[in-house]
Amino acid sequence: MSLRNVAVVGFAQLPVVARDEHRMSTEMLYPVVREALERVGVTRDAIDYQVSASADYLDGRPFGFVAALDVMGSWPPRQDLHLEMDGSFAAYYAWLKIQTGEVDTAIVCAHGKTSEGEPERVLNLQLDPYYQAPLGLTPTATAALQASAYQARTGATDADFAAVAARNRAAGARNPDNQVRESASADALQRTPWVIEPLRRGYLSPVGESASCLVLAAEGKAEQLCQRPAWIHGVDHRTELQSIGARDLSRSAGAARAAEKAFEMAGIGSARDVDLVELLATNPAEELIVCEALGVNARATAPVVNPSGGALCAHPVMSTGLIRLGEVFRQLSGQAGERTVPGARRAVAHASQGHCLQQNVVWVLGTERRWA
Amino acid sequence: MKRPVAVVGVGQTHHKARRADVSIPGLVREAVDRALADAGLRHEDIDAVVVGKAPDMLEGVMQPEQFLAGALGAHLKPLLRVHTAGSVGASTAITAMTHVASGLYDRVLAVAFEKQSEGNAMWALSPNLPFTPPLVAGAGGFFAPYCRAYIARTGCPPHIGPVTAASARDNAGRNEYAHLREPMTVDDVMNSPVLWDPIRYLETCPSSDGAIALVVANEDAARKGPRKPAWIKGAASYAEGMWVPGRDQVSPRAGKVCARHVYDQAGITNPWKEIHTAEIYVPFAWFEAMWLENLGFCDEAEGWKLVDRGEVKFGAHLPINPSGGVLCTNPIGASGMIRLGEAALQVMGRAGAHQVEGAKTALGHAYGGGAQYFAMWVVGSER
Repeated sequence: MSLRNVAVVGFAQLPVVARDEHRMSTEMLYPVVREALERVGVTRDAIDYQVSASADYLDGRPFGFVAALDVMGSWPPRQDLHLEMDGSFAAYYAWLKIQTGEVDTAIVCAHGKTSEGEPERVLNLQLDPYYQAPLGLTPTATAALQASAYQARTGATDADFAAVAARNRAAGARNPDNQVRESASADALQRTPWVIEPLRRGYLSPVGESASCLVLAAEGKAEQLCQRPAWIHGVDHRTELQSIGARDLSRSAGAARAAEKAFEMAGIGSARDVDLVELLATNPAEELIVCEALGVNARATAPVVNPSGGALCAHPVMSTGLIRLGEVFRQLSGQAGERTVPGARRAVAHASQGHCLQQNVVWVLGTERRWA
Repeated sequence: MKRPVAVVGVGQTHHKARRADVSIPGLVREAVDRALADAGLRHEDIDAVVVGKAPDMLEGVMQPEQFLAGALGAHLKPLLRVHTAGSVGASTAITAMTHVASGLYDRVLAVAFEKQSEGNAMWALSPNLPFTPPLVAGAGGFFAPYCRAYIARTGCPPHIGPVTAASARDNAGRNEYAHLREPMTVDDVMNSPVLWDPIRYLETCPSSDGAIALVVANEDAARKGPRKPAWIKGAASYAEGMWVPGRDQVSPRAGKVCARHVYDQAGITNPWKEIHTAEIYVPFAWFEAMWLENLGFCDEAEGWKLVDRGEVKFGAHLPINPSGGVLCTNPIGASGMIRLGEAALQVMGRAGAHQVEGAKTALGHAYGGGAQYFAMWVVGSER
């Protein structure tokens, strides 16, 4: 089927930090919205639609997103939606809204103040409140179960995890927005202590916070807002059951299905047809599982995986997925600085949320329009 | 709308203060099963699921749609979670509609729920925020000044809230799903204690456990269904900032803009004449008069007069909330979708004992935040 050509035309994010001591979540978002609009050279009035992404539990309060209305420039009143999901899923909805033909442009804003609480305790509350949350399972504990399952099926070793982490850390050193900017050798990472076996301290995302804003525009508007738009070729998202015991943790059926559908929409056979992949993996096992689901060889040199350094170098919950999409835009529009993948013309941006990669979204973007 | 979208299935739970007979998944599944049966569909016919609920603190589960994925039949499907404060049920239904309107989905399931007995809504709705004195008064304490301002501005007399409350309860008596159905007179309401001046105890919505699910579909799928669909003629969601100098909290601009957008899509120029019934979000009785004005059913300062003259009662010119509305049933996150679903049932002619005779066009409406979020649709019996 023929869809509207829609592109990412602008992106801004705050550099990720462990704790932004002096600003509330929405105060962090404000300069990012301003910067994104300045980059596309318009005022808020020129944008038809807005979607925000945040989670009340991260902010430690109900209705955190209501305060975001003010900093998103919601006066006069705007057509609006808020999703309690990572910003990449919010971007999906903005893209869908543009597909209806009712709007041509949208901003997508993600914010989250992870340091307001302890993510290990807060994210436990995502689990089934009757059978799983009371066990005290943390996201690191469920991730360790998944990593073990992956090792049991594939024979992946501690050294394999260390290599994935080291590759991300080396790439991430070139990204000024990252929280962790020191590269680290696989040997050094393999000497860091277990947090929960088989996951070592050096294999886990740091706890960080940020805010991000992405601008989407349909063909006709996109070219006016951006010299080198990153055109959306395909996108799909899927969820799985949460129950840790009810699915094969060693694989991501959801990421695989989303990838299959997104690639079909994009008219590509597999991820081997793209130049780079930005994926949201909070540890090396997740990265290897997602790579398998996307059909990417994590050990090969092409496509390049996570030239930004990925979530192992910066994981501002709610923004991490949107930043993957923003990174792909930066790469395809020539704004990726030292981490530029030369000649990149097509890329995949992935995001996930929930325990053990429960929900996945897969985007395919390119420098050329998808549909004639 | 470029691609027609219709409501083809409606299912809701029986709403109560405490549904101790079901878990959260059980509650949600009750609504989903009823909506699918109503539409003559099975889970495998559904292309995507959209879930809405109010703050996660109400049940103490973060992003509960994740653990509910099984109960929702969402495995390996797209699943989105909406949260737009009190308007969330309505904006969730509209989000599902957008899926179909995009042309990418044929049939989408929209689900909204709240199981308030799992937690304490007063606590969850009384945030202690930086630089803001805590009200510790829940939504009633927050909205009482809005009602006082309306009374001061329009000269609305003190019996209007009680008239609305008693009328809502009368309506709920005809709705088998409603939470509060015991008969109640205007005097009963007048004699109930004031909780937050001017809001009396019996002018206040309850805390309910409940869920609702809708199936929305494209034209082809709608025509194949077993029942007459409700066609969505117009739908929109708007929001405005809180800290805007001069913002009118009593009759917010976002509500007016949203209504105009929806009426324009539906080809409605005179809502008082062209809409036959409306389900509007009235958590505290005074808001009925306020929203009648904001929605353009009458001029400013005329809303309370429509209530006073009995023109919005069941059987009168424009029955408002024939289901009994939020005043009688309030599982917060579901309340907005119940408004939109009830509007759909009216134009399908399947509202049972609370069916408004000859209802061909109906409005469903919800609001949220500090009267900042508005989501509404107009549905009709004809394409």
